[in-house]
Amino acid sequence: MKFLIIVLFGFFKLLFIEMIQSAIKVSLPIMFGFVPLGIAFGLLFQDLGYPWYFASLMGIIVYAGAAQFMAIGFLSVGLGIVEIAMSTFFLNSRHMFYGLSFLESFGNWNLRKLYLIFGMTDETYALLTTIKVPKSFQKERYYLYITLFSQIYWVFGCTIGALLADILTFNTNGMEFAATALFVVLLIEQWIMVRKLLPFIVGFISSIIALVFFLDHMLLVAIMVSIISIVLLRLIKVNHYE
Amino acid sequence: MNELQYLIGVIIAMALATYFTRLIPFVLFGTGKESSLLNYVAKSTPPMVMMILVVYMLKDVNYHSFELVYTFLSIAITIGLHVYKRNALLSIVTGTAIYMFFVQM
Repeated sequence: MKFLIIVLFGFFKLLFIEMIQSAIKVSLPIMFGFVPLGIAFGLLFQDLGYPWYFASLMGIIVYAGAAQFMAIGFLSVGLGIVEIAMSTFFLNSRHMFYGLSFLESFGNWNLRKLYLIFGMTDETYALLTTIKVPKSFQKERYYLYITLFSQIYWVFGCTIGALLADILTFNTNGMEFAATALFVVLLIEQWIMVRKLLPFIVGFISSIIALVFFLDHMLLVAIMVSIISIVLLRLIKVNHYE
Repeated sequence: MNELQYLIGVIIAMALATYFTRLIPFVLFGTGKESSLLNYVAKSTPPMVMMILVVYMLKDVNYHSFELVYTFLSIAITIGLHVYKRNALLSIVTGTAIYMFFVQM
């Protein structure tokens, strides 16, 4: 009996370590994107003259790349809190559509689910919708590790940037391309998984439409146009078969 | 209201606004098991969003400069390597290193 417990315990321990290792490995591309971007944010934030740890605090409780950069501009001109909240909401409103893909896979309502929802940035959304979770792993826990590590990279970047604003010399120019490369790789992986041209074409055409007509809100408009189009196409197709 | 109170107020407001955008679908649609249309949308969204994100990342490339050449070269190498080896990290790191080389040159 005792032997069995030891074996079982060892097995679980091994599985967790394995899961954490795997989560770190899978989330490394996000690290290459988040750390330099976070450093860039920290550097700019430091120009505002606030204590460095507020850069970390923003990374911890706001955790939104584009919105944090936007906030630097707003803070420097002293824009009202309500206006900043509304701008943040509109800037991040594309995230409303991201949750649709995780309605079931985030599991039951608990603290973990609340955190998984909190941590859904462009990068984590892209990664979580693309990876295959190994059968031996509990999905929600694996997602939790990936989301947590991603945020740690971001907070680390923000903090380092703010702390080292005066002495940082490493030239990170061009490292932001890691995000582009990550999305390109995930696009290929999506193609391997989905093997249907339609969503890719709809996504591409929607991007072009949004670029031409709504350059300032390209991301949100493109996502809205693509979802509306795919819904309409589906409805037409369903009616066609009935 | 002093400077720090203003900053803390802004941070809390931004945190709430951001969390709200991410929480909405879960509140509106629950577990989403019932609707096949919703399921279809959920399945089609990742490939569409990935396509859109790639276009978004490339939208600011200056089309009348050398930037266009090395951006697409880096992407071509990322794609080629990924199709050939299917090692995400390798493709991303190599593509990024090549891009950084040209940017800093």
